[in-house]
Amino acid sequence: MFDWFTGKGETGGVGLEKMRTEFGQMLDAGRHAFDTAANAFLGGTDVEVIRQDLFKTDKRINRAERRIRRQIVVHASVHSAAQFPACLVLMSIVKDAERLGDYGKNLFDLAELAPRPPQGEHRDALVRLKDRISDSMAACREAFDANDKDAATELIVEAKQIEDLCDERVRGLVRGAPPDAMAPAYVLAYRYFKRVSSHVRNVASSVVQPLHKLDFTSKITSEDAAREEPPQKETPQKETPQKETSQKEAGQKDATQKE
Amino acid sequence: MPRLIDTRRIPWLARLILLLLMVYAFLAAIELFKNAIGMIGQGAADRLFSGLENPFAGLAVGILVTALMQSSSVTTSMVVALVGSGELELQYAVPIVMGANIGTSITCALVSLGHVTRSAEFRRAFAGATAHDVFNLLSVTLLFPLELATGYLRHGAQWLVRALPLEAVGGEFHSPVKTAVEWLAELVQSCVQRPLGLGEGKLLAALLAGMAAAIIVAALVVITKNMRVLMADRIEQWLNRVLSRSGLLGLAIGAVITAAVQSSSITTSLLVPMFGAGVLKLEAGFPIMLGANIGTTITALLASTVTGPAGLTIALVHLLFNVSGTLVFFPFNFIRRIPIRLSEKLADLALRNWIWIVVYLVGVFILVPLAGILIWR
Repeated sequence: MFDWFTGKGETGGVGLEKMRTEFGQMLDAGRHAFDTAANAFLGGTDVEVIRQDLFKTDKRINRAERRIRRQIVVHASVHSAAQFPACLVLMSIVKDAERLGDYGKNLFDLAELAPRPPQGEHRDALVRLKDRISDSMAACREAFDANDKDAATELIVEAKQIEDLCDERVRGLVRGAPPDAMAPAYVLAYRYFKRVSSHVRNVASSVVQPLHKLDFTSKITSEDAAREEPPQKETPQKETPQKETSQKEAGQKDATQKE
Repeated sequence: MPRLIDTRRIPWLARLILLLLMVYAFLAAIELFKNAIGMIGQGAADRLFSGLENPFAGLAVGILVTALMQSSSVTTSMVVALVGSGELELQYAVPIVMGANIGTSITCALVSLGHVTRSAEFRRAFAGATAHDVFNLLSVTLLFPLELATGYLRHGAQWLVRALPLEAVGGEFHSPVKTAVEWLAELVQSCVQRPLGLGEGKLLAALLAGMAAAIIVAALVVITKNMRVLMADRIEQWLNRVLSRSGLLGLAIGAVITAAVQSSSITTSLLVPMFGAGVLKLEAGFPIMLGANIGTTITALLASTVTGPAGLTIALVHLLFNVSGTLVFFPFNFIRRIPIRLSEKLADLALRNWIWIVVYLVGVFILVPLAGILIWR
């Protein structure tokens, strides 16, 4: 009974830790929703088989979001002002985690609406992107749990690269001359992938960035790019990650251009 | 104002020792206060408390003093010392204790004003905060005349005291706690008396009473602040459990939190932001407030450990009064809805025109009691 006197109350750590654990579970559920729905779209799974599981997962995520928000209000009421930044960070990123479930559902809808499963070069690109996003979601959970700034920074860079790749693919599809019945589905899929990656980046940014800079990671990604970029190249900062990405994904880019 | 001591930075062991010391200081101050009042002399004491012979005046004093002190614990523990000293009769003390219950709810209402710039949020916060006030006002409206007519609280408390084995040794009250704090009270008295060369009389009594009152307030402030920090995580867990539930669990949690932090204002004020944010429904928060009313009686009971059976009787009156109020308003949903509905109506009025907030706060807690004292004393 004397654990009241262990000083836990002085940091408010117990309540905050509980919320962080629940948030981690939200990330896991978001990853599950994304993987399941992406597999359905890419043709690996029958949509009817996963429908119930996916919608239940999304509901679980939404419930967790509301629960965490309630707990944040209680936590902020009970503890001192020193706990406010942590509460505000959680309030912000819990929305990102919730969006993961929503995009899982969007991908699922796409799997139902698409005239046929993706094929050829786009399927390969989407599978590669899906694997990278899924891996980054798992890494995000670990970085968040361990409060690992280095891992989170790497994750932000990786997420930005994924987003740029998705943009590049969308540009290729929109500007591409030959019409394809699957083109709208591809555009939406790349768009959803980009958004999922972006939300993962936002969560990762909570490990690295101060509260007021949450979600704003351009400095991190451009610094990282500057370390790898040859100094003689004079390209605008905004374009740097794209170029870098393009070099890394040269094969894919060539394929898109050929299309 | 800069803080002299940041209570959040004190290590737990030091905090524990500090807490024990403050409880000890609180009890010693009660003993000192009791002795000081005893020094005034029967005639002077009679004149001092003669105004309280009218129960309405006693009620008004209880409301006003507690509203100004923002702590019913201070009022009730001093009343316990006064009754324990034999200078204030039990029947005159009962209305003060009832008034203290009303006066203490002003803190919660004041906290809700922090939400005043956001109307929907303010309505919820103000309704939540004033549900406590309305309940206390209704309890007094119902039980005060009943007590005047029957004396059921006094008789009930006296029966309980007689039933307790307090007079086992030589027919007198022997409290080990009283024995433990007596020497300190005597030491303080001699430290004041000798250098000033004062004999036992009104001046020394006033000095000692003032000193004791200051120590009681200071000790309760330190106890409350420390217990709040030590209990914060536990309080958070408990409140999370009752967010969406109403009933006995909320009642128990309200009582336990308040007994631990020794302040019903702390418990009820914690609920206000939750009401405001809408995460705590009034129906779920109301039992916590009723529990807080019961839990806050622990301070008077603690004080009574050094004052003897008379002090214990008024402390038990406080407990029985709050238990009675809970028994009237808690068990049946349609009765429970009355204070909740009234507080929501009050919040609607406050939302329509801020003047109602001023009328309510200044009127109920300051002007009416002040007028009552002037008229009825």
